[in-house]
Amino acid sequence: MIGKITVMELRTGVKGLLIFCLLVIIVAAAMPMIFPTYRDSIIEELEGANKVSLKLPTDEGDMITLSWEPLENATGYMVLEDNRSSMVTAKIKYIGAETSISFEKDFEERRYYAVMAELASAVDPVLVGIASTEVGEDPFQDLLDNPAYSGFTGGRSISMIEPKGFLTLEFFSWWWMLAGLFVAYQSVSVIANDFENKRMDVMLSTPISRRRYMLEKFFAMSAIALFIILVAIGGLAGGIANINALSEFSAETVFLSLIGCLPFLMVIVAVGMLAAVIFQKTRVGMGVTFAFVFAEFFLYTFGNFSKSLEWMKTVSIFAYWDYSSVIFDSLFKAGDFVILVAAAIAIIVISMWVFEKKDIPT
Amino acid sequence: MEQEKAIIIENLTKLYGKHVGVKNLNLSVDKGEIMGFLGPNGAGKTTTIRSSLALISKTAGKITIFGLDSHRDAVAIRKKTGYLPGDFGLIPSVKVKSYLKYLLSLSNHPSTKKMAELAERLELDLDRKTNELSKGNKQKVGIVQVLMADQDLIIMDEPTSGLDPLMQQEFYRILREEHRQGKTVFMASHNLAEVEKVCDRVAIIREGHLEVVEKIQALQEKTGKVLEVEFSDPVSVNEFRIEGVSEIQEDNGKLTLTIHENLDSVIAAVSRHRILNMNLRTYSLEQLFLKYYTEENRERGGA
Repeated sequence: MIGKITVMELRTGVKGLLIFCLLVIIVAAAMPMIFPTYRDSIIEELEGANKVSLKLPTDEGDMITLSWEPLENATGYMVLEDNRSSMVTAKIKYIGAETSISFEKDFEERRYYAVMAELASAVDPVLVGIASTEVGEDPFQDLLDNPAYSGFTGGRSISMIEPKGFLTLEFFSWWWMLAGLFVAYQSVSVIANDFENKRMDVMLSTPISRRRYMLEKFFAMSAIALFIILVAIGGLAGGIANINALSEFSAETVFLSLIGCLPFLMVIVAVGMLAAVIFQKTRVGMGVTFAFVFAEFFLYTFGNFSKSLEWMKTVSIFAYWDYSSVIFDSLFKAGDFVILVAAAIAIIVISMWVFEKKDIPT
Repeated sequence: MEQEKAIIIENLTKLYGKHVGVKNLNLSVDKGEIMGFLGPNGAGKTTTIRSSLALISKTAGKITIFGLDSHRDAVAIRKKTGYLPGDFGLIPSVKVKSYLKYLLSLSNHPSTKKMAELAERLELDLDRKTNELSKGNKQKVGIVQVLMADQDLIIMDEPTSGLDPLMQQEFYRILREEHRQGKTVFMASHNLAEVEKVCDRVAIIREGHLEVVEKIQALQEKTGKVLEVEFSDPVSVNEFRIEGVSEIQEDNGKLTLTIHENLDSVIAAVSRHRILNMNLRTYSLEQLFLKYYTEENRERGGA
C-alpha cells in the first residue's frame, strides 16, 4: 500500500519527465564540449590586452597616452572609456586613424579603455585590446571579479579559460533555473491538478489520509528531482570526458556539486506543494512558487553585493547549495545539505497541516 | 439503538461566509436501507454529503458514521464507505482498468472480480483510456468505482447523470442487489422517478433545511392518487365533493380529482355519467415535489 500514489504519479508523469531529461542531457553534455572553442576565443582576447599600452602621467597636469599596435587592413580606430570593466556605460573617447592618443587626466577613480578597429572586410568593429589605469591590473580579471558575476561564483574570482570557471558560469549559474522551474511547475500541478480536475474527492474517499497524500506526492517529486540531477550528472560528466578534461573536473566533483542541488530542489518542491494546497489553482500556485525562487535568488545576489547586506544570504536557499566550494576547494558542505533537507521537511509538514484544515472545493 | 444507524447527522450547519450551505440539519440513515436525498440544485445535498465525508469542515453539528466521528475518524470511515461525487475527474492517459485497480489498491481491496463483473453489466470497456471516454462512460467508471470495493455504506451524488435509460435500469437492478446483500445506500438526486424506484425512504431538503423525511409509500399515500375522467358531457364539480377528495378540477367534461380515501364513493359518483376515458394513477414523486414546494411558496407568499 505504501508508495502507491508515488508510483502512480511517476507513471503518469514519465512522458514529460523524459522530454525534459532529453533537454537536460543535451545542454549538460554540450556545455563542456563548447568549452575548447570558447577558451581559444578568450585567449585571443587576453592577448589583446598586451596590444594596448597606457602611460599614466608622472606629474600633475601631464597627459595620459594610450597607444596600440596597428592592425592589418584597419581603416580606423575607436577608443571607448568606462569606469567599469564590463564597459556597459562606455563613452566614445576617440574616433580616427591614429594608433596613439593623449588626453588630460580629469578623474580620480580607475578607468578602462577598449580599442576597437574598423576593418574593410568586416561590418562590425573588432576588439584590438583593452587597458586599465590601474598599474599591473589584468582588465579581464577585473571583468571576472565584477560583482555581477560574484552572485554565481560565491564571491570568488574564477578563470574562464579553465573548465572549472567556464562550467561554473556557463552551466551551474543557470542550471538552478532550468531544474528549479521544472520541479516548481511539477510540484504545483501535481496537487493543484487534483483540485482543478476534481480528482480530490475520489482520492480522499479512499482510506488515504491527507497527510499521507501529501507525503507520497512529495516523495514522487523528490524522486523526479533526483532523477533529473542524475541525468545532468551523466550528461555533464559525459561532456567533460568527451573533451578529455576529467583530470581538471573529475566525475566526483560533478557528482558532489550537482547532488547538493537535490535538497535545494526539494525545498522548491515543498514550497510548490504548499502554494498548491493554499491556492488550489495551478496558475496562482505557479506564480507564487516562481516568485519564491526568484526572490531567493535576488536575496542571495544582493547578499553578495555588500557586507551590510550579507544577512540576506542566510534566508536564501542559494546560500546552502555551494557548488563552487565543491568545484574549487573540493569541499562538500554536508551541513548545508542537511539544513535544506530540514527546511524542505518543515515546509511539507506545514503544507500537510494547511491541507488538513482546508475545504476541498467542488 | 445507535448500532442500527449507518449515518447520524445532528444539527449540521455549514456556512460559506454569509451564504448558508445547510442549517441545523438532522437526519439519520438506517443500516441496510436505501435512502434518497432529494432537493433542487443548491439545496445543500452535496454540502451534507461532503461534510459527512470530511471533504469540507462543519460550521457546527455532529456527524457519526457507523459510530465513528466524521472528521476525527475520517480515514477509518473511508475503509467502510464508497463515495461517488456528483462531478469528478479521472487520472488522464491511463487505461480504465489501471485507474480502477489503483483505487482498489488504495482501498486495500485487491480483488478485481467485482470490478470486472460491474464493468461487464454496465458495458464498460476497461481497456479504454480514461481521456477517451464519453460522459456516460465516465459515469459508468464512477459507478464501478463506488461499488467495486464492496463497502458497507455507499454514498452517491447524482449517480445516474449522463447514463442512458437502459443503463439506468441496469444500475437500479445492481443497486437492489446491493440492498439485498445488506448494504446501506445514501443517494442524492434530483431525479425523482429514480428515488421512487429504488429508495425505501426519502429526505427532502431545500435551501439548506431538511423539509421532510418519509417512507416513499407513506408519502405517496399522504398525497393520494389522481383520477382523470373524460365524460361525454360537462359535469358539475359539486357532485364530487366527497370526503377524502381534494383538488377537484373540471374542464369541459374533463375531470381531475386527487383521492385520499373513499375511492368506492368516488367511483360510484363517476359511474352516474357516460365515461369516454378514465385513468387512475399514483402521484409521481415529481408532482409531489412540485406540489410540496408550490404549497410552501404559497404559504410564504401569503405570510
